[in-house]
Amino acid sequence: MSQLAPPSVRLLVCGNADRGDDGAALSAVATLLPALPASLLERLEVRRCGHLRVEDLLDVREGEVAVVVDAAVGIAPGHVITLPIRSIVGDEASPTPRSSHELPVDQVLGLADALREGGLPEGSFVGIGGRRFGYGRPLSRSVRLNMATFQAAIASELSRLAGVANGPTRSA
Amino acid sequence: MHADDGTVAVGEPVAEREFKVGYLTRVEGEGTLEVRVRGREVIEARLKIFEAPRYFERLVVGRSGDEVIDIVARICGICPIAYQMSAVHGFEDLYGVEVDPAVRALRRLLYCGEWIQSHALHVYLLHAPDFLGYPSALAMAADHRAVVEQGLALKRVGNRLIAALGGRPVHPISVRIGGFSRTPRRRELDELRRELDTAVEQSLATVRLVASWDPPALDHPQPLVAMRHPTEYPYNDGRIVSSDGLDLAPGAWGDAFAERQVEDTHALHARTHDGRAYLLGPTARITLAAGQLHPLAADALAATGLQDAIRVNVHRSIVARAVELLHACAEARDLIDAYRPPAEPRVPFTPRPGVAAWSTEAPRGLLHHRYEVDELGHVTKAQIVPPTSQNQGAIEADLAAFAPTVLDLPHAEATHQMEMLIRAYDPCISCATHFLDLRIVGDRGEERTG
Repeated sequence: MSQLAPPSVRLLVCGNADRGDDGAALSAVATLLPALPASLLERLEVRRCGHLRVEDLLDVREGEVAVVVDAAVGIAPGHVITLPIRSIVGDEASPTPRSSHELPVDQVLGLADALREGGLPEGSFVGIGGRRFGYGRPLSRSVRLNMATFQAAIASELSRLAGVANGPTRSA
Repeated sequence: MHADDGTVAVGEPVAEREFKVGYLTRVEGEGTLEVRVRGREVIEARLKIFEAPRYFERLVVGRSGDEVIDIVARICGICPIAYQMSAVHGFEDLYGVEVDPAVRALRRLLYCGEWIQSHALHVYLLHAPDFLGYPSALAMAADHRAVVEQGLALKRVGNRLIAALGGRPVHPISVRIGGFSRTPRRRELDELRRELDTAVEQSLATVRLVASWDPPALDHPQPLVAMRHPTEYPYNDGRIVSSDGLDLAPGAWGDAFAERQVEDTHALHARTHDGRAYLLGPTARITLAAGQLHPLAADALAATGLQDAIRVNVHRSIVARAVELLHACAEARDLIDAYRPPAEPRVPFTPRPGVAAWSTEAPRGLLHHRYEVDELGHVTKAQIVPPTSQNQGAIEADLAAFAPTVLDLPHAEATHQMEMLIRAYDPCISCATHFLDLRIVGDRGEERTG
């Protein structure tokens, strides 16, 4: 029996399913994962983050890549964007993942960049613009209509980065 | 004299100054600070909370106790355990449930995890930049990398404790009426036990570090309220006590306190029945329950020589919080050492009608829940009183006392120091915004409330 390769892509799924479009990433990933090929799934480590924390990024091991998936404000509702994680740091015009807790995302990314050996991990932020984030609200129509596009963007980044990643070279 | 509504009596009209922070930073949630001063007198000091209200008390109506425990955990990403604990203890008290002593210990361990991550977050990433002269933790990290790394290391231990016991680090799911859905095996805690050895040393260093920082001067003692237990530092059990001699059962918060709506804020304010503000949280706990601190924490507090200073200057709350961080790490280590898994993770219970009410100590202070329950065990009415809404009155009273002492500073610096005072309370504004009375007026003018 062959040994599985260690996970090399860290999928960080952010958001709160109770808060309208804030649950977009959770919803997208929940239905996307079963459809991914086994060869890709075995390379994934999926973490549910709630809000993105510095520790989530520090935990990404050397040789691993990260895909951060979240709803975002600052872009049109339903619009899907893919950005290198490293490009978000210090760019005030970047879309802002929606979170009202802990540190603002620019602080999270900046601290991870400053404290993690080698700086921020290579990887991508895949976001979808949200319209409403109130408790007890369903996903907005803008997000629902673009969910397939969002999932395709996530799957594309996972596939691309799984080909790039070397796999972990040291334990966390 | 500072009146109950946050204003002070004034004399002849003189020039007014206004200090405003339009969006408070390094606090959880969204709020503003407004202070108006005439001459040297404060005529208005307000913490205005504009984060949208969230109506959790309506969301739990019709739900069973176990459903309530899962729902209220969603109120806060920083202190979900506190919400679960106040709820679960209330229901267990109503239903006459006696949990296994090992389950009780695990709940204390879970609470330790929450205190560790919450206090480490606030001490190192939110509050420390004020003392070291930086606008943010990110800016501070450039010059004080080791300080930030130590804070993150401590926070990670708290996260891991919550994940190990609660099923996941945010919005945990394992707490049930009668116990847990699952309890860990002893060996699952071994690695955490080793990490706690380091965490105890790091938190002891934290106490020494923050005690060496000079805060702005303030001498403003306020009435203090906290839980107190005869043999334990207060987490999830004890009685509600105050510096004025109050002594209530944990479910009897309403006998001494009440909430009321205040203009310009999305959170209810709580006061004593005679209208006084009061202070909750680390300052209140280490003053009212100092005798139950872990010996390591008690010694560390004594070594700072700051216990009296903490009592009168909320800027010193960072020292109290660090002492509690040490307490939580040391007690967590002791609890793991003594842990033996219970025979069953939970005991059965039978719902019965009545009032399920309890208070526990969230990292920011006393958190009270009260649920009216029908014969099927479903909630018919709920009241959730978080620490930040109770502390709002104390925050505004402290602002009114503090503002005159910084009027001679440049305007921006004076404003910054007032914002810093609010941060000293570690307010969780997001928690505080689900308590408004909701009034819906229909097309025909009919009203519904919730």
